[in-house]
Amino acid sequence: MSEKYPINLWVNEERYEKLQKAGLAAMCQEMLAGLKCIQVYCNDAQKDKILKVFPTAKFDSATTKSIELLPRQVKDKIFDLVVQKQSIDIMDDFLKNY
Amino acid sequence: MAEIGHGGKEIKERILEPAEAKKRIQGLKQYPIRSQLANEVIDIAYGFFSPLEGFMGKADVESVCKKMRLKDGKTVWSIPIVFDMSNEEIAEYGVKPGASLLLTYTGNPMAIFEIEEVYEYDKKSLAKDVYGTDEAKHPGCARTYAYKDKFVGGKITLVNRPKINEPFTPYFLPPLELRKIFKEKGWKRIVAHQTRNVPHTGHEWLMKGAWFQTYGELPMDKPYVGVLVNAIIGEKRKGDYIDEAIILTQDELRKSGYFGDHNHLTSLTFWDMRYAGPREAVFHAALRTNLGLTHHMFGRDHAGVGTYYGAYDAHRLLESLKGEINIVPVYSENWLYCPHCGEITSESLCNHKKEWQKFSGTLIRSIVQDGVKPPRLIFRPEVFDLVLECAEKYGFGSPFVEEEYLKKRTPVFVMPPLA
Repeated sequence: MSEKYPINLWVNEERYEKLQKAGLAAMCQEMLAGLKCIQVYCNDAQKDKILKVFPTAKFDSATTKSIELLPRQVKDKIFDLVVQKQSIDIMDDFLKNY
Repeated sequence: MAEIGHGGKEIKERILEPAEAKKRIQGLKQYPIRSQLANEVIDIAYGFFSPLEGFMGKADVESVCKKMRLKDGKTVWSIPIVFDMSNEEIAEYGVKPGASLLLTYTGNPMAIFEIEEVYEYDKKSLAKDVYGTDEAKHPGCARTYAYKDKFVGGKITLVNRPKINEPFTPYFLPPLELRKIFKEKGWKRIVAHQTRNVPHTGHEWLMKGAWFQTYGELPMDKPYVGVLVNAIIGEKRKGDYIDEAIILTQDELRKSGYFGDHNHLTSLTFWDMRYAGPREAVFHAALRTNLGLTHHMFGRDHAGVGTYYGAYDAHRLLESLKGEINIVPVYSENWLYCPHCGEITSESLCNHKKEWQKFSGTLIRSIVQDGVKPPRLIFRPEVFDLVLECAEKYGFGSPFVEEEYLKKRTPVFVMPPLA
């Protein structure tokens, strides 16, 4: 099975409100001492594309094995797509535009 | 009493009094230097780099590259400290052995450079020896390849003290001053925490763990052990935390009571990181010996970059130099959050492996960037609030380095006109 790499969408009040309105609050998982988060996953090819298209992004290979430091606006777009599609399986759709 | 530094040599500041400086610089050609060299001039003159008295000649560079020692064959030194010039500059400024230049920075006199040698050195070979790779994408190699045509070796003497700008002023504590502070505090052992980061609780517990390790068998009647946070201040890359946030938040751990005056102090060293991994760890050991420290924390992949070095390569190299460096390495593992324990704990202590929630500086940066306040067990609220304050006050709205910060920030130090 191919590896999956999470992008952590940290859920602040604004994002939590959107999730609640869409009835999706249960999508959140608790990480790091209770911090709410939604994880969307990338496969190898998607991870490579993300790192290429967004040069500030970093794959934290040493500790968390997650893709971090995507610009806030980019993560907002990914988050909005999750809400719109009511699914965390949205990376193909998201990357279509890049 | 003499203050003895790395290599067993007395630390002596190489700084002229203003009247003497004015006489000595008469008639010297002025050569403006870039920030990397200005940082290193300060490091040499104040004794951060003791026993170096200037920029290295070819014999030192060769010995450092091939044997990790200065040309005396005894003193451990791992990274070449070189001054580069182009062929055109060498001709224009009449650079040759026996000549002197007046180095200037931010438009004012900084130091006299007494030239002893002008030489060439194979950059690829230097990179391979120091960084273990000659790939141009390694930031240390990239810096090496960007050096100009030739290197110039010779002694450095400061003619003018730098003006350290706020908020950095209280944190510029050169070796002799720092050693005086340690004596006043009555600390018998001091452990270094090397950082370029805003601290999360994983960092805080690295320091606390190192404090326990360092304390060892000492009595508890008085505080005998301190942690020195020595922040590396130098070239910034986009996405790094801004310098102001780093230094102020590190000190905030003391101010907010997670540590106290009795066991914690923050200072800075000017240095452009080379990301040389194990060799940079050895360099840090020499530097912190000069600061008067007895112990030094070394975590996983100390000063590494990408996948160039193994997690414990630095530990192994330091072990191989036992007896040759005068600082005790304190090795540490990562700290993490365990929901079962409900606390920050270490990989070596906790056995709830399946429940561990690991976090890194990168992950915390990502949370902050998303506009989320992390829980206090992960990131202290005082630190978070100060990060946001620094973003407004110094970072043009961002706690991370962006183009505007690089262009408009107040420099950490400038050279004032000669008094």
